[in-house]
Amino acid sequence: MNLKLKVPSIPIEGTISYEDWLKGRRYRRELSKLVAPGVIRRKRSSSDRRLKKLFNGERGLPFTPTEKL
Amino acid sequence: MDASKIKSALADITAEQDPTLKSLKMASLCSALWAKRGVQLVVVGGSAIEILTEGAYASGDLDLCHANKALLPMRERQEIMGMLGAKGGPRNWEVAGMFVDVLGPVESFARTPYRRVQGPYGEVQVMKAEDLLVERVLVSVYPAKNPAARECARELASVAVAGAVNMDWSEVLRVANLPEYRNVEECKVLVREVANELKIKSPFDSD
Repeated sequence: MNLKLKVPSIPIEGTISYEDWLKGRRYRRELSKLVAPGVIRRKRSSSDRRLKKLFNGERGLPFTPTEKL
Repeated sequence: MDASKIKSALADITAEQDPTLKSLKMASLCSALWAKRGVQLVVVGGSAIEILTEGAYASGDLDLCHANKALLPMRERQEIMGMLGAKGGPRNWEVAGMFVDVLGPVESFARTPYRRVQGPYGEVQVMKAEDLLVERVLVSVYPAKNPAARECARELASVAVAGAVNMDWSEVLRVANLPEYRNVEECKVLVREVANELKIKSPFDSD
């Protein structure tokens, strides 16, 4: 993978625009998945009861696949 | 923000099926409404890490804290969230197909600013990446090994060493050296490990 930065960074100072944040989503996901593949959502937490009730037995909505980001 | 704009924002958030966008949009709307009453909110925890990493980590609740000293009486909190048609309270609500928790004052040690993302309904403050990294590294090791926290820390380290999220590495070390954490070596090891895997020089390695 080419790690040369292709998208706007989330800066320390200042505000990243919504459009720039959206543009960086796929690249951030690709980087993250290089070191922690798959969905790493915790399997359980103290909020399980309410989460599973709202999300049909899951702990949240399914994540958007990388290719669709 | 008038009632029609709130209604339109809520319809957008309710229909949103991407969990990270849904959280960011909700944080944007809540931040705008709470700011009108003098309270600055900041996204913390898994939702903050998700906004910075897209790491497929967060669950269906959005955790927010107060970034300034202002506090709202329960009645006002209920009024604000009532404008959104929220159920429950006074610290957590179900709203627009997700949960929102407002946990109280934020716990932050880094001297860097909160990261800021312009959301569709107003600016969103996100917990400082330096605090998040040092905290996740701590939780990954103490009180017992925690693989989920470790993967989460590795994701945050990866986007940071690659420059997708700007990180003040000297501040990471300063925070990790505080009595509250004392995990400098663990942080260095994790960041080096990730940098090696990405074939990037670790920010903690000298020439």
